[in-house]
Amino acid sequence: MTFFDLARKNAWRKPLRTVLLMISIAVAFLIYGLTASFLNGTQGAAGASDDLLGVTSASGRTQPLPIAAMSRITADPDVAAAGYVARLRGFVDVEKNVVAISAADPGLLMAVNGKELGLTSALIDAIGQARDKVLVGRALAEAQGWITGQRVTITAFDTPRQDGSRDWRFEVAGIFEGENAATDTYFMVARYDYVNAARVRGKDTVDAFVVRPRAGVSPGELAARIDTLFSNSATPTRTQSERQFLEAFLRQYADIGLIVNLVVGAAFVTLLMIVVNTMVFAVRERTFEIGVLKTLGFSRLDIVALFLGETLFVFVVGGGIGLALAKLAATLAGPALGLVFFTPVLVKALAIIAALGLATGVLPAFNAMRIPIITAFRTR
Amino acid sequence: MTQDNEPYIALGGIRKAYRIGGEMIPIFTGLDLTIPRGDFVAVMGPSGSGKSTLLNMLAGIDRPDGGTLRIGTSHLDQMGEAARAGWRAHNMGIVFQFYNLLPMLTAAENVELPLLLKPLTRKERRLRVERVLDLVGLSGREKQYPALMSGGQQQRVGIARAIVSDPGLLLCDEPTGDLDRKSADEVLEMLRFLNRQLEKTIIMVTHDPQAALYARRTLHLDKGDFIEEKRAA
Repeated sequence: MTFFDLARKNAWRKPLRTVLLMISIAVAFLIYGLTASFLNGTQGAAGASDDLLGVTSASGRTQPLPIAAMSRITADPDVAAAGYVARLRGFVDVEKNVVAISAADPGLLMAVNGKELGLTSALIDAIGQARDKVLVGRALAEAQGWITGQRVTITAFDTPRQDGSRDWRFEVAGIFEGENAATDTYFMVARYDYVNAARVRGKDTVDAFVVRPRAGVSPGELAARIDTLFSNSATPTRTQSERQFLEAFLRQYADIGLIVNLVVGAAFVTLLMIVVNTMVFAVRERTFEIGVLKTLGFSRLDIVALFLGETLFVFVVGGGIGLALAKLAATLAGPALGLVFFTPVLVKALAIIAALGLATGVLPAFNAMRIPIITAFRTR
Repeated sequence: MTQDNEPYIALGGIRKAYRIGGEMIPIFTGLDLTIPRGDFVAVMGPSGSGKSTLLNMLAGIDRPDGGTLRIGTSHLDQMGEAARAGWRAHNMGIVFQFYNLLPMLTAAENVELPLLLKPLTRKERRLRVERVLDLVGLSGREKQYPALMSGGQQQRVGIARAIVSDPGLLLCDEPTGDLDRKSADEVLEMLRFLNRQLEKTIIMVTHDPQAALYARRTLHLDKGDFIEEKRAA
């Protein structure tokens, strides 16, 4: 037997109560896992940059811009690097399994936001090997179960090929990780020359230019200057930072992140109260035994460790079950619902499990610690 | 280390009072007591005479209001709670009237509890538990839960738990108070064995004159002081 065994056996003294607690914790972490996976799968604003500028048509982001505009943008001395992107949307197997493709010049993409995407020269070399090669983001690759070297087919919604087919076949040349956990990697990068040559409509146009200002240059001022440059052209532009662009896009629907955080926060606060209440009762029920343990030589800290161990055990089991269910749901229905359950979600969830396990145990443990032995013995 | 001629336990001028209903009720007003190492002392007396209070102070779970209380080299009257907990873990075992075993633990796990506080490996703990369970005649019952054991068997588990850390001092609070005569005699024989063969110093609070016959000497406590001492023949 170990200290942990003792805590575990204490937790199982009232099996029904412990199972109900674990179920409530599992449900809370299932909600957390699903909502966090949903945010991962649908949003990348948290990882978006304030420095990168996106130049789109002022008439709407779905309106194309001529690729020829690139040279006018790069002519501005405050532009450090620029690239372009044509977007394709399609699906894999079923229409709900939506996949986004950014067709770009890999070299320019590397120069302009290779750091944010986690692109490496090896990846750029790999995609350069053949025109149908693609680089796939980690979140997308995990969700679809794709690996390097695999051939994949994306059926485009509205970008037919010259041969009349809407099926675009690619070979995965590599997987990019993103600069950090918040970077949106739920998309793939294809070669613009391949997509542009094969598509029927929109040849030599792009959906956006991506611009990196020189160091020390105000992104806002450069954005205004670029828009001025095209204000009297056939295709006026609207230039925003990547973060502004994504946040504005998501706000069209609602502040999803805030709603999700409120829901999950409410679930966790409720959970905190339920578990604290239950554990405080458990301490009261065991007051006499706490006296016995202290008489045997268990110190106040030993008693604290015992109760913290018990709440941690309940949280780890309950939370583990909830996260496993969330992972299962993301695996089974992820592509359809836009759920991406990957490592950062798990790590954050484990941190929350540890924090809640300790937080809920602190008050009961503190109560147990303070009980004088003589008082404990009077309770029987 | 105490000198050979120094008593193992020495209480000097112990004062203790409890506040009951706003009034201070004195229990001890200057109690003196010395007990040599290896003694087996029965403490008897009517309810309210201070037997339990004395035992609680010797166990370091209650502190005197005044006076000195030394056991071995440890001055319990000067120690804080954490130090007294550490002292209990290494120097003292206690046997309760109602056994006070944890119901969700097996006999072996109950006995192992004090060893969790010692830097021993799992194997060392297991060997020690097996040894003391064998000593109290409970070999083969390691995995039995207290609820399935008789009172006498539970008390033997309680004794095994008290001695598993090999403490020098064994405090017994009415150890036979909840047992029939046969079981009581078995438990008392066990205590006598621990005293005679393993040289444990035992202080046993009891109401039972039969139980007191097993001790080397009997102290009668009344109104906070010892009024009589009998030595075993």
